[in-house]
Amino acid sequence: MATTDRTPLNATIARAREGSACRHVLSAIAMVGMATLMVAAPALPSGASDPIKIGVLLPLSGNFAENGQQTLTGLKMYFDEVGNKADGHAITLIVEDTQGKPDTAVTKARKLVQGDGVAVLTGVVTSGEAIAVNAFSRDNKVPLVLSGDAGADELTMPGPLANPYLVRTSQNGRSVASAAADWAYKKGWRKVATIGSDYAGGVDVNFAFAQAFCSLGGKVIQAEWPPIGTADFGPYLTNLVRTADAVVTFEPGADGLRLAQQYSQFGLKDKLPIMDIYGGLVFESNLPQLGDATLGIYSSLFYTPMLKTPENERFVAEFQKRMHSLPANEGPNGYVGAHAIVDAIKAVNGDPSDTMKFIAALKAIKFDSPKGEISLDKYGQVIQTMYIREVQKVNGQTANVPIASYKNVDQFWPYTEAEFDSFKYSYKDSKNSLTDCTRLLAKK
Amino acid sequence: MTWIIHTLNGIAFGMLLFLLAAGLSLIYGLMRILNLTHGSFYLVGGYIGVTVMQLTGSFVLALVAAVGVIALVGAAIERFCLRRFYLDELPQTLLTFGFLFIFADLSLWIWGGNPLMLNMPAVFQHSVPMGYYSYPVYRLFLIAVGIVIAVALWWFQERTRLGTMLRAGVDDAEIARALGINVSLLFTLIFSVGAALAALAGVLAGPVLSLYPGADFEVLIFAFVVVVVGGLGSLRGALAGALLVGILDDFGKAFFPEFALFTVFVPMAVILVVRPTGLFGRQ
Repeated sequence: MATTDRTPLNATIARAREGSACRHVLSAIAMVGMATLMVAAPALPSGASDPIKIGVLLPLSGNFAENGQQTLTGLKMYFDEVGNKADGHAITLIVEDTQGKPDTAVTKARKLVQGDGVAVLTGVVTSGEAIAVNAFSRDNKVPLVLSGDAGADELTMPGPLANPYLVRTSQNGRSVASAAADWAYKKGWRKVATIGSDYAGGVDVNFAFAQAFCSLGGKVIQAEWPPIGTADFGPYLTNLVRTADAVVTFEPGADGLRLAQQYSQFGLKDKLPIMDIYGGLVFESNLPQLGDATLGIYSSLFYTPMLKTPENERFVAEFQKRMHSLPANEGPNGYVGAHAIVDAIKAVNGDPSDTMKFIAALKAIKFDSPKGEISLDKYGQVIQTMYIREVQKVNGQTANVPIASYKNVDQFWPYTEAEFDSFKYSYKDSKNSLTDCTRLLAKK
Repeated sequence: MTWIIHTLNGIAFGMLLFLLAAGLSLIYGLMRILNLTHGSFYLVGGYIGVTVMQLTGSFVLALVAAVGVIALVGAAIERFCLRRFYLDELPQTLLTFGFLFIFADLSLWIWGGNPLMLNMPAVFQHSVPMGYYSYPVYRLFLIAVGIVIAVALWWFQERTRLGTMLRAGVDDAEIARALGINVSLLFTLIFSVGAALAALAGVLAGPVLSLYPGADFEVLIFAFVVVVVGGLGSLRGALAGALLVGILDDFGKAFFPEFALFTVFVPMAVILVVRPTGLFGRQ
């Protein structure tokens, strides 16, 4: 069962080591003291031997427990790989369960920073938590490395949420959608119908798709918005316009699993190809459950466990050893977040106490990861590769096989920042006008 | 043709709702307990079904195991916990609320947080062509099961000795007891049957709706809506309410998508205003 106070094993080990080292020092002092009886105890060397504490905020109970657990596994995998050390300094992880709730996340963030004295916060799965912890980080000038899934675009864009102490190594919603749009157009689709989960994140992602698709010359001809937790997609599937070239969806969680099953049951899979932004229908944990129902589904994401790179093959093998399942998106995100933190600690010679210097070091990171090449832009948002995947049979099992990739996708792609800023409407006032290209492309 | 598909969809979904609401309604009718653990019986029943299906590959065995285990769990909860607060509805309801959380955490621990899909038996993996679309055979099967269960419950309530005792207990538990009916045993039995119906719904819904943490709360709300529309304590009401809610939900989502979030709740609000006791509820 997910408990609220989970001390990670490596942290316990680190603490035990620290404890025994301390005991040796003390007994040495005691012996010296007894021998001379007059020598004052020498001051323990401070600073250099103190472990660097990293606060991890993840949902380990509640509805997002699985996402939290996967991210945590990724984080720990990297820290274990470097022996829980950066630049010779021990690293201690302190993990707190946020239960997926923004208020709990902030309470735990305060405990980690003010109680435990952590140097940096990381993790965070939902956008609601991210926005809450982001405000805490800004007010308290604590570095926050978003290594969980939280993908709200505005967090790393100039605007009301902008925070100089934030970097995000995981992802954002727009990039995945834009890659899907580009590929869909190249595939020859010109008119598509969308089925988008009806919440801020869903509108954001579908809007990004529609805008990029319009820029290329395509058009969304029907936009359906099932609410989160839609049990039966029957009404939406029956309503799809038949003149569409394809269906584009964004349906995370259990909704995605249901849509994949029902889409196939209603006999649509052979008639209307489907592009799944973010791969909610074909998550690695869904694939074995759905059998052949997912064959041929296209999806876009910043990762697939089927990538044939040395970094990824090593990662997948170790992940499977720990979790007995294939990694989806969270594991690699946790792993990359930990890598970024360790690299930045090395760059500041093991002293992250100068916050701005540490943030600058974070923004300067660049390395190869299981996800591909990773770097950050000036706002602290990750620049990474987007993959188009297709579900195919590999050794008798369905798998997300990469069929195309887009390298170095930044958060404004396919636009420049200036172009992106020049659009008149954002996703917030466009939910009901996804089919109106003129409006989506209107300039200020 | 799409009209036929929408109607069939609505009825299939309504039948699932009926299985859920029937148990809730039976238990309330007899014991006056608003059983908040009902959604957990659904979820845990479904999870048991998934596990048995994975281990044995038999859908029938999955159904039997889930229904059997949850019936026993339900009986135990009534006999050893709820019984202590006999006729004290508020502590009983609070107790069922507590069990809701216990079951939620237990199932998260055992089955994890990823949504699980119950694989349907190969017999039902086909679709019937209907114009441009195909209609899944499994949903037709759901409709058939719903009808069978509805008839069986009606027969049980109206035509069997136990059913007569049940009706007597619903009308006046004290007088029924005075007449020599073992009302305590009846309570345990009905609570167990109600739980088993929820588990049945869980397994049957598994291949369509999937099972995941939080599903317990979602279906509990659906069941409440149905019994509020149909009238608490009435089986006929549960059936009518479930079909009405199922069909309105489907047509609402198809033709008034802007209101998709509350297509289920609008009929409830209207019924509450017009008939506060529900369609078949007694004053």
